Amino acid sequence: NWLKNCDTTLFTFFCFLHPWGLCSNSFFLCISSGLSTGGCPFVHEVRKDEDICSPILRKLFNESHHIFVGLQGIRDDLPSKNKKTQFVSISKNYRSVIRACMEELQRISPVFFLQVSILLAVELIWNLCEVLFIDAAPAGSLLLHLLDWVRLHKADVDEKARDVLQSESPTEHQAYWDVVISYVLQGRMDEARQVLMKQAALQPAARGMFKLLDNLLIKMPIFNPSGAQTLTEFDVKWRHWHEEVDRCLQDQSFASNPHLEVICKILVGDEDVLLEHKELLSTWYHFLVTRLLFSHPIVKPTELHYYAQSSMHMFLDTRSVPEPLDSILLAAFEFDIHQVIKDCSIALNNWWFVAHLTDLMDHCKLLQSHNLHFGSNLREFLLLEYASGLFTHHSLWQLAVDYFDHCPEFGRVYLELQIERVPLDTERKALKVLRICEQRQMTEQVRSICKIMAKGALRNNRLGSALSWSIRAKDAAFATLISERFLQDYCANGAFSDLDLIDNLGSAMLLSDRLTFLGKYREFHRLYGEKCFSDAAKLLLSLMTAKIAPRTFWMTLLTDALPLLEQKEVIFSADQTHELMFCLEDLTSGNCLPKPDRDEDIDTTKIEILRLALARNLAKAIVKEGTVEV
Amino acid sequence: MVSVINTVDTSHEDMIHDAQMDYYGTRLATCSSDRSVKIFDVKNGGQILVADLRGHEGPVWQVAWAHPMYGNILASCSYDRKVIIWKEENNSWEKMYEYTGHDSSVNSVCWGPYDFGLILACGSSDGAISLLTFSGDQQWEIKKINNAHTIGCNAVSWAPAVVPGSLIDQPSGQKPNYIKRFVSGGCDNLVKLWKEEDGQWKEDQKLEAHSDWVRDVGWAPSIGLPSSTIASCSQDGRVFIWTCDDPSGNTWTAKLLHKFSDVVWHVSWSITGNILAVSGGDNKVTLWKESADGQWACISDINKGQGAVSNEQ
Repeated sequence: NWLKNCDTTLFTFFCFLHPWGLCSNSFFLCISSGLSTGGCPFVHEVRKDEDICSPILRKLFNESHHIFVGLQGIRDDLPSKNKKTQFVSISKNYRSVIRACMEELQRISPVFFLQVSILLAVELIWNLCEVLFIDAAPAGSLLLHLLDWVRLHKADVDEKARDVLQSESPTEHQAYWDVVISYVLQGRMDEARQVLMKQAALQPAARGMFKLLDNLLIKMPIFNPSGAQTLTEFDVKWRHWHEEVDRCLQDQSFASNPHLEVICKILVGDEDVLLEHKELLSTWYHFLVTRLLFSHPIVKPTELHYYAQSSMHMFLDTRSVPEPLDSILLAAFEFDIHQVIKDCSIALNNWWFVAHLTDLMDHCKLLQSHNLHFGSNLREFLLLEYASGLFTHHSLWQLAVDYFDHCPEFGRVYLELQIERVPLDTERKALKVLRICEQRQMTEQVRSICKIMAKGALRNNRLGSALSWSIRAKDAAFATLISERFLQDYCANGAFSDLDLIDNLGSAMLLSDRLTFLGKYREFHRLYGEKCFSDAAKLLLSLMTAKIAPRTFWMTLLTDALPLLEQKEVIFSADQTHELMFCLEDLTSGNCLPKPDRDEDIDTTKIEILRLALARNLAKAIVKEGTVEV
Repeated sequence: MVSVINTVDTSHEDMIHDAQMDYYGTRLATCSSDRSVKIFDVKNGGQILVADLRGHEGPVWQVAWAHPMYGNILASCSYDRKVIIWKEENNSWEKMYEYTGHDSSVNSVCWGPYDFGLILACGSSDGAISLLTFSGDQQWEIKKINNAHTIGCNAVSWAPAVVPGSLIDQPSGQKPNYIKRFVSGGCDNLVKLWKEEDGQWKEDQKLEAHSDWVRDVGWAPSIGLPSSTIASCSQDGRVFIWTCDDPSGNTWTAKLLHKFSDVVWHVSWSITGNILAVSGGDNKVTLWKESADGQWACISDINKGQGAVSNEQ
């Protein structure tokens, strides 16, 4: 039966999802390998993906958390136009956080190359989603937004331009024409013209040609969304311009200057010429936008996917397989939000990104129009995954709490399950966790945590701390246990520890009988210390007669009464003395437990002394009470 | 991709049969055929031997950590028919209790949810399952279920402490009406569910699907839904997921997770019960997750054979 001839056995599985956005599931997996030949003594702790929680990424999580919480607070009753502006603004916030993180990583070390490129891709996708889904630009503005998008992600043009313009002889720089053409490809006509002017200045003979091209560049119509011009009017104007450019080509106006001719062909939207500049375009989506700029500037959102697909096919080598990023962008151009999210989840293995993006899109009410049976829960599903991952981190777990709070279906129970696993290393941390639980009325967790802390304190002999934790946990049994310990300590040492706590118990005293006794007993000591002897005496007596004191403690109490009995003035009245005597008799008569000899001796002596003191006090009391004051 | 973050050299002299992290993932307990139980402090990637516990006279099969509110308590079970409960007192580990009520190897131990108190279930090759309940002051109450599985019981696992449907109709302030339940797997190829009624343990359900010895069972943590989920794995290479959607807990349906090429030894659920880890004789550890349409998909493969893991430290 015990011939377990296995090489690998899995024993513990904790799913701790890792917070770093790159990986989805990290967990402490204990794998031990046992071989039938002698055995391997190693146990491996395994985690999916590395722990690269650098401070920069921490900032990303912290700041995106801040944005997330703000987003949840946006009121539903705002008019939709205002909401859209807010949502776009929030989207931009998220993107700037990604950018900041990326730039810092770049600055620190080239070692983070992989992370930087992933963040770049993430921002690229997010930006496109913002343009297409959140801002939802209509025809006309759509192209402008796409141009911005491309320009933002192809920033190397400016760097090259700087190099060229700052060189000794810009027009002879090898990248000169590349810069001009790159600007034209991005629709940045003003910059293109500026650079072209350098060349124009050097060739007075060709001034006419340069003037002509300059003219074409200036006159290119750009749609103005806030202007009075309608889309149709713009279209008409654009077509005029397009025809003019075409005429220049037909007239061979630029024949003598191949560079200018190329630019002209680009302006007319010649796809073959565009494709000749693959290197400058570098990506198919740049090609797509440029193509649209020069052939279909009033492209409608619904037409995008057709152009996107064909652009991708034209641009990419027929043999090459589209990369995940390409598929994701294509899905976006096809307005298939769910596909985008799905592909991102798989390709990036990145809960951070999909969780926040999906949440934002859910707020924009973009997910509900899709007919998946877990449509609205997709948001919650992703947020739960992300937040669970955060919980493994020793300080980021606090961010996760807010995420769980905004998951209406399972957030609370996930939080309940996870928060109990936060190691309570310090009292401060325990208090933090406790506060979170108390704010959410998670009474079970509060009790559990308090019990754990009480147990820990008791183990380290910190009775006061243990007592206050068990009071907080409302754990009567434990409170009783600790009170017993206090009392035992008192019997052994003659003094109380943690007086402050016991003195200020207040109503918490009522939690357990033993605790009440402890509190009252301490009060007796206090009264005695303050020389309020008659009050002390009354309290002492009541502790026994009201049965608050456990019988095992009566001897001690009676011994405590001794100094009060031996005082010169009479403290205990005759009646009270009678009661004390009754208690003593009660105690001694019922006491038939066999005891070791020595104890019996001590006890007998004590009892004798008590009897004597009580008798003397009774005498004094009777006399005092019988005396008539003249 | 998975990478090793820490390798603990336990110095066990023979096969390691179990390794369990404590509640917070800061301590690791391991047990071995060399008859010892070892406890390591593995906080922050370290590995400090905290205790080397001797007391068993045969290979130790499993260890289980109790909930921290009861202190630092660890249970171990062994071929020597004993179950030993160890406790940390004054920074040293000592035997708290030794149970010798079984006639054969004790194969599995599992602590119940803390809401039930300190209660340990033990499954043995003598076919019986014992339940040890701590009643205070070094006393343990014993309840034994004889002939739970013919030939022997290989695994026990507790159900979470919820009244199914508790999210929906729990009157606040009342002490919850807990029903103690656990699942066991045995050499009779059966998975059995047990329920406590009026202080007696009764067989509640008998789940048949495996064609060979059931090696491990795991009751998934509850996220408040009225459904319950159990995973079972067997010598026949199959892992089944059992679900019950009705609150009375009577109709269980089995779904085959996967048929592996070799014996499957262990199944283990994540904290929130949405991922299942499976390990077996094919030298692989796989992770499984349920998708929205109810199908289980493998989300990761971890190969751990001789030299198969790249040690990135």
